[in-house]
Amino acid sequence: MEAAPDIGIMRLLAAFGLLVIPVGLSLFMKLGIARQLFISAGRMTGQLFLMGILLVYLFRWDNPWLNIAWVMVMMFFACYAVMVNSKISFRHFLAPVFLSYFIGTGFVLLFFNSVVIGYENIFTARLMVVVGGMLLGNSLNGTVIGISNYYESIRKDNKRYLYLLSLGATRQEALLPFFRDAMLAALRPFLANMATMGIVSLPGMMTGQILGGSSPETAIKYQIAIVLAVFAALTISVSLSIYFSSRRAFDDYGILKAGLFRK
Amino acid sequence: MIKLENISYSLNGKQLFDRLSVEIPAGGRLLVSGESGSGKTTLLRMLLGFVRPDQGQIFIDGEELGLDNVWRLRRKMAYVSQEMQIGRGQVENFIREVLRFRHNRHIEYQKDQVLKLLNEFQLSPETIGKDLEELSGGELQRVAIIVTLLLDRPVYLLDEVTSALDHPLKKLIINYFTGLSEKTLIVSSHDGIWHEQGFPTINTGNNGSSS
Repeated sequence: MEAAPDIGIMRLLAAFGLLVIPVGLSLFMKLGIARQLFISAGRMTGQLFLMGILLVYLFRWDNPWLNIAWVMVMMFFACYAVMVNSKISFRHFLAPVFLSYFIGTGFVLLFFNSVVIGYENIFTARLMVVVGGMLLGNSLNGTVIGISNYYESIRKDNKRYLYLLSLGATRQEALLPFFRDAMLAALRPFLANMATMGIVSLPGMMTGQILGGSSPETAIKYQIAIVLAVFAALTISVSLSIYFSSRRAFDDYGILKAGLFRK
Repeated sequence: MIKLENISYSLNGKQLFDRLSVEIPAGGRLLVSGESGSGKTTLLRMLLGFVRPDQGQIFIDGEELGLDNVWRLRRKMAYVSQEMQIGRGQVENFIREVLRFRHNRHIEYQKDQVLKLLNEFQLSPETIGKDLEELSGGELQRVAIIVTLLLDRPVYLLDEVTSALDHPLKKLIINYFTGLSEKTLIVSSHDGIWHEQGFPTINTGNNGSSS
């Protein structure tokens, strides 16, 4: 199969031309999203161009250490995105969330590259950077939901937590129901999405591979493997994020510390 | 025995307690009265180590409440508050779960005992199979009381437990607890009916001073 043809600059501008419709609608209906749309589209374009340039060099040099370093940078940005999107304080949560990503995504990434793909050089940029990015990007949402749900419900249902403590629960015992709820909230949307995959949505990775010249047969196998890998990475990252952060989020009396949330 | 010594505490710039001292002997009773927002709940939560005083000490059976004993001393007390949030799931499962906590495992689950208590507090035996979320506020409160009774702790902290209940139920609960002569009872309420019991009373008032 042929690889996808390059998109010329004029043709790419034509894609931006599609924005006329939402912008027009926004102006006409006073949705007030036109400005936000320009900022978002501009950021997306800039970031992807930078990423493109970076990827060109990462692929050209293909140095394992550099690839690992870049995956770590991506993990850091993923943590940053979790913080920004969940109103939890950087000071308390950045380290535990990073550690969970490091363990969760790191393990699944190595497993995927060595066992599932079975490539000789598992640290090659094609696998490390691309698969690493898929795992992180796709587990991000779930992590945000999981960790926000956990701390917000402990804060909101504080009486329930204190009641359990007063009934003689250890901190872990009193937190277990909150942990269960948070895990379910994090994993359920992903499970629902998994069940409709191929019918409602043609996943991005598969689309990309087919456009890139892979046969659909290869593309679906990659897609299946990556969905399972994302699910595993998400489960590990969310549960470890909650576990590690809980160790810092409560004082010795078992009370949720003040200042865990950004105002 | 429970002793508060020179407790001071401010919340959001408002002084709730200023060098409050009070002593309750084992098996004794104390009514904490005062307007809402005057610190009644805070005082009860302090005994459990959920809130720490700015100054002063709390002694429980002669031990000063602190880092190294708070988890153990908490287990001497049972706490029921107004507007309970217990959780989800079946009443019976919840009770079993509580009795499976590491420190409660010595207590055996006995369905008969639960049914007897349900009856005592005018709840139907079917309550045991109901979902916690189906229960009304008053029913939930009584289930919470029953759970604490199963744990058989020496001290009961009752925070406005009767305020949402109708008169006959208020009487029922008050009679039940006043009948537990060997238990220490610390009750917070602005409900007149508790005042008729003749408990020693402290008033947190509206400016936080004690009397």
